[in-house]
Parts: sequence; C-alpha cells; structure tokens
Amino acid sequence: MGLDILFKIAGVGILISVFHTALKQAGKEDMAHLCTLAGFALVLFWVVQLLGRLFNTVQEVFKLF
Amino acid sequence: MEAVQIVGLGFIATLLILVIKGQRPEFAVQLSLACAVIIFLFILTKLEAVISLFSDLADKARISHVYLNTILKIIGIAYITEFGAQICRDAGEGAVAGKIEFAGKVLVMIIAIPIIALVLDTVVKLLP
Repeated sequence: MGLDILFKIAGVGILISVFHTALKQAGKEDMAHLCTLAGFALVLFWVVQLLGRLFNTVQEVFKLF
Repeated sequence: MEAVQIVGLGFIATLLILVIKGQRPEFAVQLSLACAVIIFLFILTKLEAVISLFSDLADKARISHVYLNTILKIIGIAYITEFGAQICRDAGEGAVAGKIEFAGKVLVMIIAIPIIALVLDTVVKLLP
C-alpha cells in the first residue's frame, strides 16, 4: 500500500512535466497551466485521503476526542 | 524487518523527489508529504501496543487514567503539530511552520490546565 501511491504521485508528476513542456512548445501556455493544475488537484486528492487516514489514526491512538 | 522497509521507503521517496524537484517543486512537496504520512501510519499501528502496555502499568500502579490520557493527548498534539510544521518548513514556509508550532504549544497548555490547577490547589492546601 505504501510504495504504489509514491510511484503514482511521481508518475503523475513526470507525466505532467512532459505535458507541460510539450504544450508550451506547441504555443498553448494556458493549456499547459491548466494541465499542471489538473495534475496537482489529482495528486492533492490522494494526499488528502492519506492525511485523513493519518489524522483519524492519531486520534484513535492518542485518544484525542 | 520493519526498519529495513521504512529505510527503503525513505530512500525511494527521496530519489523520486530528487527526480521531480527540478521541474515541478509542488509535486515534490506532495511526494514528501505522502512519504511522511505512510511512515507515520506504519509506525502508529505499532505504537498502539506500547500505549496499551502503559495503560496496563498505570492500572497496576493505581494511577488515575485522567493523567495518562492527558499525557497521551499532549503527545498526540505535539506529534501532529510537529509533523505539520516540518512539512511546511520543508516547503520553504518557515512562517506558517512557526504559527503551527505556536498553536500546538497553546493547545498543549490548554490540555494541561486541569493538572496545573490541581498542583496549585495542593500547594495552597499545604501552606498554612
């Protein structure tokens, strides 16, 4: 469970940087920025889910209610 | 065995962050955040055994559970705020990290208020 999300995030990052370069070369700056934003939002979605799990676990373990 | 797993996880995350950081620093921050969360989750499930041992010891020593729970809450708050502050500082936002740490200190103080009041009460009773 641990490694696959790291590889997913890194893969999205590399892919987005390639897309960004390609779109920039094609002269579509706004599309390149939208592409970066979409990738960022996708990764943020995963990371926020992970963070929610972490906070729930911490609350359970340390009885922080 | 878990130690090797965690070190491997950290190495792989570091290498991936180094690859990403040049072009997209925002993804590097998210990657380091994900790595930190995964390691935390990994170790927190192990920590439950230690905490149950402590509560058993407190039962045997007939210490009220209020004190143990207070200490646990303080440790939890310190853990979470330190985690957030480190992530913010890694991303270059030292000011935000400082605010998070300050909030954590205030929250710990608030949780410790009943115990401080108890100590003060005891001292006042002892005084003639």
